[in-house]
Amino acid sequence: MFSENQSLLSRLIQNLLLIIYSIFALFPLFWMALITFKSDLQMFNTTFFFTPTLDNYKAVLIGTDYIKTFIDNVIVSGGAVLVSVIAGVPAAYALARFNFKYKEDLAFTILSFKFAPEILVILPLFMIYQKLHLYDTYLGLIWVYQLITMPLLIWVVRGYFEDISVEVEQAAELDGYPWYSVFWKILLPLIKPGLVASALLAFIFAWNSFTFSLQLSGFNIQTVTVASLRYIASDTVHYGQMAVAATIAALPEVILALLIQKHLVRGLSFGAVKG
Amino acid sequence: MKRHWQKIITLTLAIAMILSLAACGGSTATTAAPAATTTAAAADSGETSAAATGFDWKQQDGSKLRVMFNQHPYAEAIIQKIPDFTALTGIEVEYSLTPEENYFDKVTTALNSKSGDPDIFMTGAYQVWEYAPAGYVEDLSGYINDAGKTSPEYDFADFYPGIVGSLQWDLVAGHKTGSGPQWALPLGFEMYSLAYNKSVFADLGLTPPTTMEELKALLPKLKEFNGPGSYALAIRGSRNWATIHPGYMTTYASYGAQDFVVEGDKLVSKVNSPEAVAMTDEWVQMIKDGGAPSWSSYTWYQAGADLGAGKAAMLYDADCNGYFQNVEGASQEAGDIAWVPAPLPEGKSDIYSNMWTWAIAMNSSSKNKDAAWLFMQYFTSKEYTQWASVNAKVVDPARKSVFESAEFQAVLDKAEGFAATFDAQIANTGIQFTPQPHFFETTTEWAATLQDIVGGKYKSTQEAMDALKEKMDEIVSDVEVG
Repeated sequence: MFSENQSLLSRLIQNLLLIIYSIFALFPLFWMALITFKSDLQMFNTTFFFTPTLDNYKAVLIGTDYIKTFIDNVIVSGGAVLVSVIAGVPAAYALARFNFKYKEDLAFTILSFKFAPEILVILPLFMIYQKLHLYDTYLGLIWVYQLITMPLLIWVVRGYFEDISVEVEQAAELDGYPWYSVFWKILLPLIKPGLVASALLAFIFAWNSFTFSLQLSGFNIQTVTVASLRYIASDTVHYGQMAVAATIAALPEVILALLIQKHLVRGLSFGAVKG
Repeated sequence: MKRHWQKIITLTLAIAMILSLAACGGSTATTAAPAATTTAAAADSGETSAAATGFDWKQQDGSKLRVMFNQHPYAEAIIQKIPDFTALTGIEVEYSLTPEENYFDKVTTALNSKSGDPDIFMTGAYQVWEYAPAGYVEDLSGYINDAGKTSPEYDFADFYPGIVGSLQWDLVAGHKTGSGPQWALPLGFEMYSLAYNKSVFADLGLTPPTTMEELKALLPKLKEFNGPGSYALAIRGSRNWATIHPGYMTTYASYGAQDFVVEGDKLVSKVNSPEAVAMTDEWVQMIKDGGAPSWSSYTWYQAGADLGAGKAAMLYDADCNGYFQNVEGASQEAGDIAWVPAPLPEGKSDIYSNMWTWAIAMNSSSKNKDAAWLFMQYFTSKEYTQWASVNAKVVDPARKSVFESAEFQAVLDKAEGFAATFDAQIANTGIQFTPQPHFFETTTEWAATLQDIVGGKYKSTQEAMDALKEKMDEIVSDVEVG
């Protein structure tokens, strides 16, 4: 009886702590969504009770070209992740399986792209992009985003390939599978959790990237991270409109994360536990 | 053997990807739709006036310009009129609009690359001190004085001398603005004065201050005038150069204090002079007695928003900051805001307001300079400025004829005391800083010291300003004078 009470109590405490934590974690999102319905007039004078309005949504979605910047961001970030997956998975496989000269140096060089501060490389990139006519193009941004997405993907996926024993591949080959079938039917399903998790993370990093899109585009292409700031106008900050922009910008990440939650948790914890 | 093949295929795939990307790049670059490019629209009265004066606005027909704008009401006004400009001149315009927070990072990178892109960019006067010595900006004097390139209707003398002069500089550090090449042309500007909530003052039976003494006496009376959290005076306080240049610099200059003087071949900071220390001491006391509880994080936005929300009774900042809060529907206190000139220091009779101007400048690497000049000329002309002031939010036009026009005065009638304050201050409004290329570093250091004094880090203001002087001298030690 006593132990039953104790376990009930501990569960109560656990749940209470979880509720407190979820309030703490979700409140910023709730607050952001809440102020999308507040007019500039009520922004500083009210907290939870106010007259809701859809004016901010109208101003952002109809009054400006925010939708276009959103689509630009989808093209650029989606394109960047796609290229990274197509090129990064074979690269990760090569780094995991083959032995060649300077392998570790190459792997580290790829990783080091992630370390370089963006602002440090932006001037030479800007000049090269102007010369190659890559400035302010989708391809230019997709290419430069490889600095963000590719190293992450290669390093996570490489770890997964290394964890799969060579015997699995050899067994499949022995059964008569050509090498590409081995890769496609045996290896890819095994690395799927890692691939999905790292592709999603890469997408989030690309989606949130600011400096590259600020400096290397702007006339024809603009991403949401740069466009969201325009609601800090010089006359005043339109917090309501900025909240609308931020809420809409956060949606793809939230939806994607929810859709592939299962893979995400497995993908991120799998390697660690095994390690 | 199989491994060998795998290696070759992996490599081939990688090369194929790079090649396909490169090929794809060519097509993307050429097919990208110029979303911001304007098409010809109905011509405005500009054509009629062009016909009357004989000036050839079509001389650069078919050219294409790229312009970088900061997100600002002035830029939005120009963007509305670009179709008219295209119709009049045949020049197509592409533009980018970047939020102010990151605008200058973008412009600096673009100018630094010397690629000629953009042809025109928005700038302030302080940025010119950095860009002009580096050779990024075209001297406009030749264009202004060339009858073939400038319409006889342009009337350069119509600009307020202090405003247009703030964008002239002979590139010698330590020499004041107001002479030398014209590096940019003003779209509009702001001066610094005192905005106050007239209903709060009326309810409490107070009159707006005219001197610093009167202002100081008002502070305790306005403490929590509207319940907890409300306070007397909103001013900027963040650790940033922008804290120094509005009210602080206006009062500093009105005290007769200077930031730098030239001694021999060196720039020497004078922030520890008796008048500078006395002024700073008074300023710090003012913040302690009547400033916002979180003053040290305050920028333009928080200061203006507090006046608009009825949290602050007064705002000592740009005149247009309060103006934007006074526009109907912009804030809770809209319609209740009025203006008086900046408070006078004891024993002084003139206010020397500092100023900020948003201007347009030409990239010295531009390949379309004559077309760029037509753009600059059009968007700083009397006709355009008149339209922008009446129909858009250009509240401090840089042209005298526009400010004095009955149409614009009717707009200002809604803002009590705005026009009178403008008239009272305009004669002595100008850049109160000494031009030097490390402006942003020295003023940011200055703002940091101000925060430290308020925070009690120093025993006295004198000690703090002595330390600041040393830091500023160190920063400008590489500046060549004369």
